[in-house]
Amino acid sequence: MRQTRARELDTLNELFYVGTIGLFLGALFSAIGSKKAESAKVSLALSVVSCMSLLAFSAITLYYNEAISIPLYSIIPSLQFSFFIDRLAAFFILIISIVSLSVSIYSSGYIEHYKSTAKKNSLTSLMLVFILSMVLVVSSKNMFSFLFFWELMALSSFILVMFEYEKKETRKAGLFYFVMTQLSTVFLLLAFILIYNTTGSFEIAKMQLSASGISSIAFILLFLGFGIKAGIIPFHKWLPYAHPASPSNISALMSGIMIKVAIYGMMRFILFVLTPQLSWGIIIFTAGVISAILGVIYALKEHDIKRLLAYHSIENIGIILIGLGLYIIFSAYNLPELAMLGLIGALFHTMNHALFKSLLFTTAGSVVNATETKNIEEMGGLIKKMPYTAALFFIGAVSISALPPFNGFVSELMIFQALLSSSALANPLLEIFLIAGLAIFALTSALAAACFVKAFGITFLAVPRSHEAEKAKEASLPEILGSGILALSCVVLGVFSFQIFSLVGYSALIPNLFVVGALLAGFYAFAFAVMHAFASGNTRTGETWGCGILSQNPKMEYTASGFSEPIVTIFKSIYRTKKQNDRFYFDISQSVFRQGNAEIRLMKFFEERLYMPVARIAEFLSIKASEMQKSGLDAYIAYSFITIVALLILAGLSA
Amino acid sequence: MITPVMIDSTIKVLIDLILATAAIIIVKRDMLSLISTYSVQSFLLFSMALVLYAENGSTMLLYLAVLTLVSKVIVIPKVMEKVQKKLNIKRDVEFHYLSPTSALFTSMFIILVVHLLLSRILAELQLSNMFFLGATVGISLMFMGMIIIFSRKQTITNIVGYLTMENGVLLFSLFLTELPMIIEVLIIVDLVMLTLMATILAFGINATIDEFHARLNPFIKISESKLFGVKQNTCGAESRASPAGKAVPNMQKFGGDMK
Amino acid sequence: MSASFIEYGILNIIFAVFVSPLFISMIKKVKALAQGRRGPSILQAYYNTFKLLKKETVYSTNSSWVMRTTPYVNMAVMCVAALFVPMILMPAPVSSIGNIILFLYLLALAKFFMALSGLDAGSTFGGMGSSREMTLSAIIEPVIIVVFAALAFAMKTTNMIEMFLGILKSGALFSNPVLILVSISLFIIIIVESARIPVDNPETHLELTMVHEAMILEQSGKNLAMMEWSHAIKQMLLMGILINILFPVGIATELTLAGIAVSALIFILKASVLSAIIGLFESSIAKSRLFHLPDLFMIAMFFSLATILIEVFA
Repeated sequence: MRQTRARELDTLNELFYVGTIGLFLGALFSAIGSKKAESAKVSLALSVVSCMSLLAFSAITLYYNEAISIPLYSIIPSLQFSFFIDRLAAFFILIISIVSLSVSIYSSGYIEHYKSTAKKNSLTSLMLVFILSMVLVVSSKNMFSFLFFWELMALSSFILVMFEYEKKETRKAGLFYFVMTQLSTVFLLLAFILIYNTTGSFEIAKMQLSASGISSIAFILLFLGFGIKAGIIPFHKWLPYAHPASPSNISALMSGIMIKVAIYGMMRFILFVLTPQLSWGIIIFTAGVISAILGVIYALKEHDIKRLLAYHSIENIGIILIGLGLYIIFSAYNLPELAMLGLIGALFHTMNHALFKSLLFTTAGSVVNATETKNIEEMGGLIKKMPYTAALFFIGAVSISALPPFNGFVSELMIFQALLSSSALANPLLEIFLIAGLAIFALTSALAAACFVKAFGITFLAVPRSHEAEKAKEASLPEILGSGILALSCVVLGVFSFQIFSLVGYSALIPNLFVVGALLAGFYAFAFAVMHAFASGNTRTGETWGCGILSQNPKMEYTASGFSEPIVTIFKSIYRTKKQNDRFYFDISQSVFRQGNAEIRLMKFFEERLYMPVARIAEFLSIKASEMQKSGLDAYIAYSFITIVALLILAGLSA
Repeated sequence: MITPVMIDSTIKVLIDLILATAAIIIVKRDMLSLISTYSVQSFLLFSMALVLYAENGSTMLLYLAVLTLVSKVIVIPKVMEKVQKKLNIKRDVEFHYLSPTSALFTSMFIILVVHLLLSRILAELQLSNMFFLGATVGISLMFMGMIIIFSRKQTITNIVGYLTMENGVLLFSLFLTELPMIIEVLIIVDLVMLTLMATILAFGINATIDEFHARLNPFIKISESKLFGVKQNTCGAESRASPAGKAVPNMQKFGGDMK
Repeated sequence: MSASFIEYGILNIIFAVFVSPLFISMIKKVKALAQGRRGPSILQAYYNTFKLLKKETVYSTNSSWVMRTTPYVNMAVMCVAALFVPMILMPAPVSSIGNIILFLYLLALAKFFMALSGLDAGSTFGGMGSSREMTLSAIIEPVIIVVFAALAFAMKTTNMIEMFLGILKSGALFSNPVLILVSISLFIIIIVESARIPVDNPETHLELTMVHEAMILEQSGKNLAMMEWSHAIKQMLLMGILINILFPVGIATELTLAGIAVSALIFILKASVLSAIIGLFESSIAKSRLFHLPDLFMIAMFFSLATILIEVFA
């Protein structure tokens, strides 16, 4: 028995090694053979194989609940690269591997868009480094290796964001992203040092509570650090810049997995290392609710398809945080089933979001490639030109709007269920707070559906609105295949959710969506048959009635700004759009118009009120500090003089 | 038989409906519906007084109920309708300081805060839950009346707001076990005085402004012209109501032009 | 899924599908009588459906599979949703069917498809209808959820069938004041979801007042019949929920022929009364401006939140 167990563990270890080394080799291959034409394809093939092995590895680890420990290399005894994969880490490796697998397949078609071989190869190589670093972050046992691979991940993603550095917006986006990610690393470093001071080691292990003050400070630092990377409001501003600027497969990886790695960090540290308190849960819950509603409200105004998707990522991160906050709140009140419901909802939503967000980004990337524009107001009618891409985007849109029987619905259902059962709490104020959060969460969900009706409808339906959209061609086979794998997993995870959960041992209160899906399909077929039998089968096609205009042109269709106009007007106090028009006339009765000007001013709330003031203060302080570094020797001697005198006084006082 | 549970349930339903009428008054713009909502609110208070009479049996409550019915459900709304017809003001469209949605959120918040405070302050006295509910809603109704007063511009709406505040005080006092009648009579007299005065005021302003308007006609024409450019700031706000519908129209116009 | 549940399911769906157009015409008749007209006959909706089935279907050259599949999807969704609302027979609850959030999101699925089909033909009316519909349904969603939360608080369960069973057994109205308050909110939700005045005018085809009608403007023939039919079923289901919460007396609990017949008649009677109330309500007010509707919904939200407050604090 023990030998078979040891052999099983060995095979698991081997799978992990194969996965990571495969990715490393792939990256190396592309980097070295950067002039050869086919090295990108070879690396991507290696990547696919590695991801499959990692997939198998994580699936088996999850199912059997075995923890793997791999110590690798120590610089000094407290700083070592060691890896430990338990169920939580395996779950995230599963997410990473599925998404990377699909995106790798997708990339082999997508990178044909770039003409130079050097670009293709460097993109592939960096992508594989990116994926490898994420896998190793998630499996780290030591805070040193965690931070090392975290920085590697940040660096590789920064270079990837700056990939199309010829454009000015890309440079601005890359710089913004770089500053924000370094800020998050600073917070993480501070937190790690604090934990080291308290426990004396850099291991990621349960910290025995010494002082609650220290753990609260650690919580704030960790929350800020991981929150910046995950994109919680108000630290979210880098997301809508970085995602449109980077290539679509990288956006898929960043939005699908990188921000989930931040969520992993949050879960690992706040739940596992520190012991969470009730106030933390309330903070996380509030941050989640605010991110969710503001994310979707800002998304409704966007017409750049990738920026729209980026804002939806912020919304979904908010939903994950809602689940996490609920877990902490319910645990603090000793309601374990509800707490687990919240946590499993959050984890499942992590996986679902990774899947459908990458799906949406990859299909959006195909569309952007085909139409040479990111603005949805210039697209249209693509459902006839790119039918497969349209169908895959449709599956992603239905999943993200949380409609049954797909997977987005199941995770949101769990969180709804946990919120609806909050009457079990004894604290009436907290119950009312949770109900307020529930109402806002429902609003978020409905607005997300509205936004995706707009996104899918304006992009794909009706008539093309521009010349390029008319000429669009279907995406290449690898692109469709990669997106197809993601779409398939969305459908499978949704319809078979009940079965999957019972398999893993958690039979929750979720309804059996397989039954619902089967019933839907059955009634659809039944209605079709009935109509075929009883109704007239004649069909005819004709032009859309345009109130008498003979030939319809694209200007008659509804536009995206028109579609979101009612919602924008209702929420205008959040958007703070200032409209001003002045009109001047020649006469008293205002019949002869002289001149006029109109101005619509969008206030970028967080940029103008939060980021720029902070940046200005930092600039001011650094100018003042740099003034201290005068080039004269006398200034430095003066500083030394002041320091020595102060030290003498201090020594004298304390003696 | 009428059980205490049934009485409690009826009280809860009535309280919720009273809150709903107050919310409707905060949001609605149509003048006639404001007045009729007020009379519905007073009717609900009348039924509440009857229910409490069925529970307690104190005759004070019965007198109070009849008094409320006569004065607040029938007389005062009729008077206000007459005034409204005379002034010919149909709608009150502009909102000042608080939009309707934020006013409702503020009211919700106030209800929570009031309940918290009450349960903290009066925790030692062994009082029933119904009392807390009634007291909370009574005080909140007062605050909602205040919100109505400061967020609207028309005089009649301000009067309705003040009357809502009085309803709130009435609701609060219904739940007290001892009810000195004098206070209620004083309040009713106060209200009648107020309505009379408001009527006079409303007529008075209208009369005065008409003369004022007539005298200043030539000057108004020129300053109203757009010859020299007048800015129209539409920050997504409601358009101004037509001059015929306002009791104090010209003060507004002058204020607008003097920018 | 036991055999008795399957029997209940078949019965309920057949009842929902065949009886729902009756109430659409009934509301029209009440409105006509209130306006002093004679109005169309009560079976007019059936006559319309049969006539539409005989007509040919016209598709726009711009449209795609979205337009062609939406009517069938709507019908399928409404039939599945009909399983959630027992109208003539109260079954024993099962865990997979009956979740209140699942019901809500099934309706949202139908709405999603309908909104997309509105955009499909490339006409301005359709886009306008989709845009307004998604806005209004987004704003009413928190109200619906808070109402369901109040119900879940009161009945301590999130399974609709369990809730109805609990209300039936405990003798309804006077045991729980929350139910009366929730019924008022549910009435408002029926008005919103079945597109009645003051939210939407189901009888005009003018762009100023269209929301729901605009989305199905491009449908024709059997597709239009299915869209209107599914709308009727949705309205009947929501009316069924209100009836089950407020006045469930008379519903059969066992499967006997006489019991089912009596229960069906009683339900039709109750729903007719409710249709008359809806018709009178519609006749007594005017349609609101689109941008005044969020204010009205906020009142409903305030009311529902006050319901929860009262329940939590007392």
